[in-house]
Amino acid sequence: MKILVAVKRVLDYNVKARVKADKSGVDLSNVKMSMNPFDEIAVEEALRIKEAGKADEVVVVSIGVSQCQETIRTALAMGADRGILVETDQEIEPLAVAKILKAVAEKESPQLAILGKQAIDDDSNVTGQMLAALMDCAQATFASKVEVGDGKVDVTREIDGGLQTLSLSLPAVITTDLRLNEPRYAKLPNIMKAKKKPLDVIPVADLGVDIAPRLKTLKVEEPPERSAGVMVESVAELVDKLKNEAKVI
Amino acid sequence: MQRMLTSNQLTALGEAVGHSQLFTDPEALQHYGTDWSRQFQPAPSAVVKPKTMEAVQQLVLFANRERLPLVPSGGRTGLSAGAVAAHGEVVVSMEQMNQIHDFNPIDRTVTCGPGLITAQLQQFADEKQLFYPVDFASSGSSQIGGNIATNAGGIKVLRYGLTRDWITGLKVVTGTGERLDLNKGLIKNATGYDLRHLFIGSEGTLGIIVEATVKLTCKPGRQEVLVVGVPAFDDLMHVLQMFQAELTLSAFEFFSEEALQHVLAASTLKRPFEARAPFYALIEFEHTSDHTLNQVMACFQKGLDQGWLLDGVISQSDTQAATLWQLRENISETISHFTPYKNDLSVKVSQVPDFLAEVQKQIHRLYPNYPIIWFGHIGDGNVHLNILKPENVDSTEFFQQCHMASQEVFAVVEQFGGSISAEHGVGMIKKPYLHYSRSPGEIAAMRAVKAVFDPNNIMNPGKLF
Repeated sequence: MKILVAVKRVLDYNVKARVKADKSGVDLSNVKMSMNPFDEIAVEEALRIKEAGKADEVVVVSIGVSQCQETIRTALAMGADRGILVETDQEIEPLAVAKILKAVAEKESPQLAILGKQAIDDDSNVTGQMLAALMDCAQATFASKVEVGDGKVDVTREIDGGLQTLSLSLPAVITTDLRLNEPRYAKLPNIMKAKKKPLDVIPVADLGVDIAPRLKTLKVEEPPERSAGVMVESVAELVDKLKNEAKVI
Repeated sequence: MQRMLTSNQLTALGEAVGHSQLFTDPEALQHYGTDWSRQFQPAPSAVVKPKTMEAVQQLVLFANRERLPLVPSGGRTGLSAGAVAAHGEVVVSMEQMNQIHDFNPIDRTVTCGPGLITAQLQQFADEKQLFYPVDFASSGSSQIGGNIATNAGGIKVLRYGLTRDWITGLKVVTGTGERLDLNKGLIKNATGYDLRHLFIGSEGTLGIIVEATVKLTCKPGRQEVLVVGVPAFDDLMHVLQMFQAELTLSAFEFFSEEALQHVLAASTLKRPFEARAPFYALIEFEHTSDHTLNQVMACFQKGLDQGWLLDGVISQSDTQAATLWQLRENISETISHFTPYKNDLSVKVSQVPDFLAEVQKQIHRLYPNYPIIWFGHIGDGNVHLNILKPENVDSTEFFQQCHMASQEVFAVVEQFGGSISAEHGVGMIKKPYLHYSRSPGEIAAMRAVKAVFDPNNIMNPGKLF
């Protein structure tokens, strides 16, 4: 079985996002970029399935600028077998991402596609769902447990008020939730090996996919700043403030 | 030992600092009378929070007339009881003098009151696109004045040095009440004794720091974290030398497998890699160019070939870097419930392996069953020795025995020409052991210096020596 994993290069989770002066977007110059944390979980899960002897190959695909190769190399250092970069300088919206992934899947014919449930930069949480719809296959979102069986996969999902377990026939699309696993670190010997692993770069135009934007960003703004805390002198004052100012009790 | 102030004295104190800045309630006395050491009962006679240099000066002049001992007080995050007022002293909290007075982008200096919290200084520098590099676990509560008085070090000493290296000017009120303006923010100043440096690390025994001029630097580039497994302690030295020759290191920390096991047991963190190593090194370096990673790889390969390294991981994101740091930073907290007996020691970097072996030998000779946990900033020769209390040993007995062991440990420190307090100061706790690190001649000279600035011994008496 072959597993396709999609990874996105995003602003590092630990970096404070700053809005560009002209409010057209987030300033990405000179900031640390890393793999989307949910995608790290997707890579880890694919590797665990492979290590359990239930898959033969893990292929990692990313879409974006040339530097996305670094993100793919990280996945290769974790243990993925090969990488594909669909290269473009344009901003790609989730629907276009899903269409590009579908085009890659048609070439690669994976039995399973694993994606992060959302990217931490735009928090859209739609790509996996749209990909499954375009591929006309089963989907299980927000996976907290994945068990691959014969021709099927059982996925436990975190839903309001409990857990739901779905049994999907393959091929299928899975999106990962935070508690699915804890991704491994990239070991130095594996980083060296990863340099020799194949990484194909395909210009987006070669896939013949319509990537024209459907959305227009009007304005990006910082969230309003929280006002500073105040020290109270006594419990009575605290209670008074909670009652009369914050009106929470 | 409780000293009571007369009502006349209290009135005069209030007049010196402002009546609203004088506190004698039990909560204030308890709160401001102690630091993080918790070994002495706080018993100050009053707490004052002066707001101006003039108020500090009035206060010291009055204390001189009345022979009232003063304990200067910052964030009180020290571990050696340097800021504890256990004998009826008046605590002088500098927390109200926490303003930033001036920022000069050409000099790249900040002039501020001593009560400014370290993290606020770091944040201010960040807003100015600059960097204040002295950093430690307590930076959210410690104050710049206290950092100066203890010459605080922390986690980036390897690259950026100690607090001492970042202070270009100090205004102080000496123990006689005289105000001195030391070095005036100059970079070059070859005009005799640099009195600024006498006040840095003086633990409040010479006077009170009322203003500091602090130098800032460029923000560092991207930092990466490497954790490697090392088969033997001696190999850590080779690893340090190898990486230091190739990279700009900002930290080189080490911890033992035992330390790691305690951290893993107490958290959801996972091993950096499956293979177990007797020791681990955490190496933080700056990603200066595209070439950096190749240099790391070349070093790593050489380390493997030489048998100095067993395995290693490298952070792929700032989040991973922070998680790897937790393996080292969580040690203190996770072993705290074993009531460890701690010592903060230093020797020359090259001597660390021999020193550790000798200390371990002495402790095991006395108490073969006591688990020892080692970790520390090995890149600057600073190791933290922690002896854990076995469950079946009573804690009074344990601390008595550790106290005995301390004498042996400090004798080893003396033999290696090391320091009995690398970064925690002397205060009251290390005072009985100062002679292991400082000669009688040195201590006599320190006393003579104190007599010049504080002839009536009112400045933090009973601390240091």
